[in-house]
Amino acid sequence: MYNWRRIRDNLFKIIVLSLAVLALTPLFHLIVVVFINGLSTLLEAGWNFFVDLPPTPLSQRLGGVAPSLVGTFLLTLTSLPVTIALSLFTAILVTEFPKSRVSLVVDTIAKSLASVPTIAVSMVVFSLAITIVNSVPGIRVYLSPAGSALLGSFALIIVALPFSYTYFSTFLRSVPFTYKEAAYSLGMSRWAVIMRVVIQVVKKSMLVAVLMTMARIMGETAALLFTAGRYRSGVPTSILGPVDAIPLLIFDYILSPFEVWHRVAWGVTLILLLFYMLIFFIVKIGVKEVKLT
Amino acid sequence: MYAVEVNNVNVYIEGHHILKDVSLKVPYNTVFVIMGPSGSGKTTLLRVINRLIDLVDGARVEGEVKVLGYNALRADPYELRRNIGMVFQVPNPFPHLTVYENVAIAARINGAAKTKSELYSIVKWALEKAMLWDEVKSRLNDYPHKLSGGQRQRLCLARALAMKPKLLLLDEPTANIDPINARKLEEAIVSLKDEVTILMVTHNPHQAARVADYVAVMYDGRIVELGPANHVFLRSSTEITQKLLRGEL
Repeated sequence: MYNWRRIRDNLFKIIVLSLAVLALTPLFHLIVVVFINGLSTLLEAGWNFFVDLPPTPLSQRLGGVAPSLVGTFLLTLTSLPVTIALSLFTAILVTEFPKSRVSLVVDTIAKSLASVPTIAVSMVVFSLAITIVNSVPGIRVYLSPAGSALLGSFALIIVALPFSYTYFSTFLRSVPFTYKEAAYSLGMSRWAVIMRVVIQVVKKSMLVAVLMTMARIMGETAALLFTAGRYRSGVPTSILGPVDAIPLLIFDYILSPFEVWHRVAWGVTLILLLFYMLIFFIVKIGVKEVKLT
Repeated sequence: MYAVEVNNVNVYIEGHHILKDVSLKVPYNTVFVIMGPSGSGKTTLLRVINRLIDLVDGARVEGEVKVLGYNALRADPYELRRNIGMVFQVPNPFPHLTVYENVAIAARINGAAKTKSELYSIVKWALEKAMLWDEVKSRLNDYPHKLSGGQRQRLCLARALAMKPKLLLLDEPTANIDPINARKLEEAIVSLKDEVTILMVTHNPHQAARVADYVAVMYDGRIVELGPANHVFLRSSTEITQKLLRGEL
């Protein structure tokens, strides 16, 4: 006699497993392709890949991606802290005072911003910079309409803010009210409850939110198209001048007809991928999850 | 002088009348038990006393509440709460802190300990008073998820005691734990009344009979009977109390 319950159970397992494999296949494919193409570039170029300037289109040597690496570092350094601070405090405001009008407005704006195309953000920031430069004499020294790390960071903050806010507010809302109640009953102030209890309970999730935001900033292309400046003939030294970024370099080089630039693009993509994997590995291993009681 | 004086208190939450003209007086160093069926307003009354009612959206309190000499409805709620310990129905030790830290955080907040050794002494004292020390003295660095439900609840009692409160509010503290742990908690409660005034909410008339000096019976937001425990249990004058004692409510 057939055991229908067992057959249904096994069928369900097979379907779930197949769907999981189907969902993960593109990801594995992406990782394998990036490793195969990028590794040969990194092995051939060696350490110089991190410190040299990019090659000319017909160059025999691979050169390096130092301007993009430094540019991405500068852009991340200037935009990440501002994004995290703004989004965290906004998320705290909205989760602590969920019924206030300010919270409702802020929440609506943040969610709407997430759906704005990032290239539109780049365009708006660029137009704003042109308007300011044309109307304020002498500001060109600080605000180059040709693009700068400052302008790029501004665009990146607008792009990353709603994502970061969504992560933070979701994690803060996930803390059971009973812990907050216990903290208040001990005489803790609202600020102490947030800092010493709420954030501590979800600290691993909060760190993941920071890293996801960082990944978003480091991988963003469209927001930088009109704002960063694509400076590749040297290493940037100021946030007021134009900079390059890893995604911009990949975008430009992979669309070019030059073989050497294709190879550089694959190499730098692998660096980006390895960096992401390293970060998530550290989070997974290094930060202990709080087990709720 | 009373540890708690509640006079004609009315509480409304989003338009609903939850507490109706509630008045009671809790003498110092007694165990005062509030009994009543679910939804009678027992927990709300506790939350008015330590102002946790402030956390409830749309809550409005009218009347007069004096707690340990404070005008509770006008006092700084944070300062007020530092004098009042509370143990909730569901054990809620902080999951990110160890057993030791869970108790120590309360002592740190109200400045009860200046040095590490003072802090250790308070933590040990609080865990002993909660009858938990012997079970956790070698596991002070464990996290609460490794404790049983009853141990977690006694840890919450120790956390509340580490504040050195003058008043302890217990909101059905044994509702979610096993009988053995419940009995330990009851023993701890009775042993504490020389040092702290205890106001406890319970569903269980037998438990009330074991620990209470005074009893108030609540029904539908009102106090329907109030007096010394013996009087309420032996010469109850209201039908609601009698039904409650028979387990029919």
